[in-house]
Amino acid sequence: MIKSRSSLIFAWALLVPAILYILVIVAWPLVETVRLSFTDASLRKVTNYVGWRNYEKIFNETFLTVITRTFTWTFFSVLLKMVIGTFGAVLLNAAVPGRHLFRILTMPPWIVPMAIGIFMWGWMYNGQFGMISGLLQRFGLVDGPVAFLAYGETAYWATIVTDVWIGVPLVTIYFLAAIQAIPKDLYEAAWTDGASRWTRFRRITLPLMAPAIITMSMLSLIATFNSFDIIWILTQGGPSGQTTTMIIDTYQTAIGSKKYGEGAARAVVICIFLSIFCIAYFRVTRRLAAAEKA
Amino acid sequence: MAIRSRDTRAMIDRYRPWEVVLIYLGIFAFLFFLLAPFIEGFLVSLKPLSQLFSSPYRFWPENGSFEAYRTMWISVPGFGRYIFNSFLISTVATCVVLILVVPAAYAFARFDYKGMGFVLAGFLAVSMFSGAVLLIPLFRLMRTLGLLNTYFAMIVPGVAFLIPSAIWLLRTYMMRIPTELNEAAYMDGASQFYTFRRVILPIARPGIVVVAITTFIGAYAQQFIFALTFNSKTEYMPLPVGLFAYFGKQDVIWNELMAASFVGIAPALIIIFFLQRYLVGGLTAGAVKQ
Amino acid sequence: MTTLFRKSLIVMALAGTTALPAMAEEISWIYCGDKIDPVHEKYIKEWEAANEGWTIAVEVVGWAQCQDKATTLAAAGSPAAMAYVGSRTLKEFALNDLIVEVPMTDEEKAAYYPNIVDTVTFEGTQWGVPIAFSTKALYWNKDLFREAGLDPEKPPTTWAEEIEYAKIIKEKTGKAGYGLPAKTFDNTMHQFLHWVYTNNGQIIDADGNIVMDSPQVLAALQAYKDITPYSVEGATAYEQNEIRAIFLDGSVGMIQAAVGAAYLLQDTDIDWGVTALPLGPDAKGNGTLLITDSLAIFKDSGVEEKATEFAKFITSPKVQEEYEGGGAAGLTPLRPGPAVDAMLAANPFWQPFIDGIQFGGPEPLFTDYKGFQNVMIEMVQSVVTGAAEPQDALTKASAAIVEYK
Repeated sequence: MIKSRSSLIFAWALLVPAILYILVIVAWPLVETVRLSFTDASLRKVTNYVGWRNYEKIFNETFLTVITRTFTWTFFSVLLKMVIGTFGAVLLNAAVPGRHLFRILTMPPWIVPMAIGIFMWGWMYNGQFGMISGLLQRFGLVDGPVAFLAYGETAYWATIVTDVWIGVPLVTIYFLAAIQAIPKDLYEAAWTDGASRWTRFRRITLPLMAPAIITMSMLSLIATFNSFDIIWILTQGGPSGQTTTMIIDTYQTAIGSKKYGEGAARAVVICIFLSIFCIAYFRVTRRLAAAEKA
Repeated sequence: MAIRSRDTRAMIDRYRPWEVVLIYLGIFAFLFFLLAPFIEGFLVSLKPLSQLFSSPYRFWPENGSFEAYRTMWISVPGFGRYIFNSFLISTVATCVVLILVVPAAYAFARFDYKGMGFVLAGFLAVSMFSGAVLLIPLFRLMRTLGLLNTYFAMIVPGVAFLIPSAIWLLRTYMMRIPTELNEAAYMDGASQFYTFRRVILPIARPGIVVVAITTFIGAYAQQFIFALTFNSKTEYMPLPVGLFAYFGKQDVIWNELMAASFVGIAPALIIIFFLQRYLVGGLTAGAVKQ
Repeated sequence: MTTLFRKSLIVMALAGTTALPAMAEEISWIYCGDKIDPVHEKYIKEWEAANEGWTIAVEVVGWAQCQDKATTLAAAGSPAAMAYVGSRTLKEFALNDLIVEVPMTDEEKAAYYPNIVDTVTFEGTQWGVPIAFSTKALYWNKDLFREAGLDPEKPPTTWAEEIEYAKIIKEKTGKAGYGLPAKTFDNTMHQFLHWVYTNNGQIIDADGNIVMDSPQVLAALQAYKDITPYSVEGATAYEQNEIRAIFLDGSVGMIQAAVGAAYLLQDTDIDWGVTALPLGPDAKGNGTLLITDSLAIFKDSGVEEKATEFAKFITSPKVQEEYEGGGAAGLTPLRPGPAVDAMLAANPFWQPFIDGIQFGGPEPLFTDYKGFQNVMIEMVQSVVTGAAEPQDALTKASAAIVEYK
């Protein structure tokens, strides 16, 4: 890399448009939200500063369960997305006829407006009329209708499955692009040396996909942590709050109860959690990458 | 194993029969998971409303017809307009995002000056806030900028929230382009800008296409909350808002809703179909010998 | 393509910079639904013609979002002139100084069915103009009754009978006897209120005291627990429309629903009947849950007075009657009158929906309605899933809702 004065200017010049745009459009609302988190803002026209009270409130209630639940829910969902996404990307990379069609067929869950996709899953989970319950009964695997969204355990996993379903296409396509960026010569060299497909996958594909996996899993983590629509539409956080994650709670507070101040505080807490996690993530992956180079 | 044959594919791409079977099985399982709800949705769109809810579960509709595909245009007359709006908004948003993001991603991929890490983290922080929470301050901002009730009301905030992931995805992709290309160009006397434009960009094309696709789709179907809050003109409403028009006070016209969903995503699928051929793999073979 | 693109840019730029001077005064109306009702359209034109210089700018917003949009606009300082809102939200808007009073004259009050005015009254005055009304009744499936050996012409009239019949249906036919919705949706709380109001119970009294922890409400919660074993399996996954769908499918014996179900049932070949909600031990008479939607007039729109005038016009007896369309719109009429009598004569299934009004109760008015609702839903769910005993759940909930008052 050439470092010089003109390079410096060039680099920043490339960044300035994006920075400016974000500053103008997002910076002010963000700052405002943080400011609101220290007030008792609600529908009332008058707002007062209340210091750290909103934050104290968050950590005093049974919020700990919600926090843990958010983390576990996010973890499983992201894990499944990465695994299924890699699986799909490898398959779609294979030079078999029809692969172009298959690639397009992976896109619908991502393209369809999220609410519609969720409704479709809601249909499938319906105990009385849904596909899953119906087919299970038809094949004699269960006695009566199974209402997946009625019970905490099954609802938890049902919402994860739907979240994974929505996220997989993007992950798959991105991983596919990453795989295709791997020079074919590497594979050919390994093949000539007698390496099996599995070895080639493990030694060439995976490591070279590593940056893509890291980036995608991090982005996915952030998005999944804030994943709102799925749980909201399917269970509204129920039954008995067993699928309530931090963002659901934030929404219920801010929009449902119109307690904008408290809602803002929760949003800030979510952001802080995510930031801490991202920093830790970076440190760990950088160390791993360094270790591998050594 | 040097068998001469008419098969001109690389040896690496030739599979044994059982491998082909496995691959297809895997693909079908994968696709089944992704498309099962759509099968259900499609079947729903074929059933008459009174039969939608019936047990025991029947896979094939009894009085199935494409009636819903016709009546959906009557229930929500402006639906074609909504599709057009979504298309327009997404296209403009994607263009804007690309203009802003491609240079920025390149900067992050190639340079590492002081403060840049901070900026990168800043972009990421933006994506950590759910749009719903920022709604009211954003509304006030839109109002001050005079953008309410225009197409920009939906484009402008949409772009802002699409930028972070686009930058990150493209940056990672660009980082994989060998720096030797830059050095080679420098040796040949090319300026930074020339290198960027003529050397790196063409190679980064698959990555840019992927980011374009993901941004487009992100804009196409996800612009719900901004459209709802910042826009009051029915003529400008995008697809998701239009789909919610099938919700009545007491009932939802499910079959028409499903039919409309399929019709609505068709344009996006067509775009993807055309763009995906640009997802050609690989750094130019032999551009730089390791 | 590029020319089209350029043209679109120009069009958009123009659209963005348009700021016509206000030649006419505008009343913006947030209207819930997917399109303007033809009756309303007709009368809007009539009013505009009679009031020169004034236009009504209707913004049609879907049912699922219209309430939120009205609130967001008001909270952000750009309120619509008037909006269609659930009456339960009026207290919150009023206390936060976002809407203006719309007091009714005694004459106006007397024109409505009893208790309707109460749904919009708070601190001695009215805060909204009622525009829609719904009540609930009990539907029963005569075929299933017959199959279970019950007399198909004798629906339950008391809670005890209701639970008993549900049990018999479940045991004799294997199908659910009652449809109890317990999903995390607002209807779960509404349905519970049916039981409360058919037992002379109350959640909050006229002075604003929480009186929920009472024998009457406890009996309702206990009845819920008793009927759950004979209800649709997995009650916490279903809300009212889904329960209704199960009933339309002939898979449940009894449900409590609004009049819309009657119209849907006519398209099926189920032999059904509808009657007043069964009464609890302490009932004084036929009760039900009275839900009204009103037009709220927001402050600081600059056109409050004219908006109020228009709101009263668009809900005046003549217009309202046409809008209700003799029941075809699925709305319970707001005011008694010859149109209602004709409707009852033509469609007798309307009778129970009217009968229940007298001893019916409103949605309780709370400042933080959502918070209150969440507590109530939690209470019902905990009893239905067996996680808590009725008395404990009730006491806990009673204490919890105080902060939302």
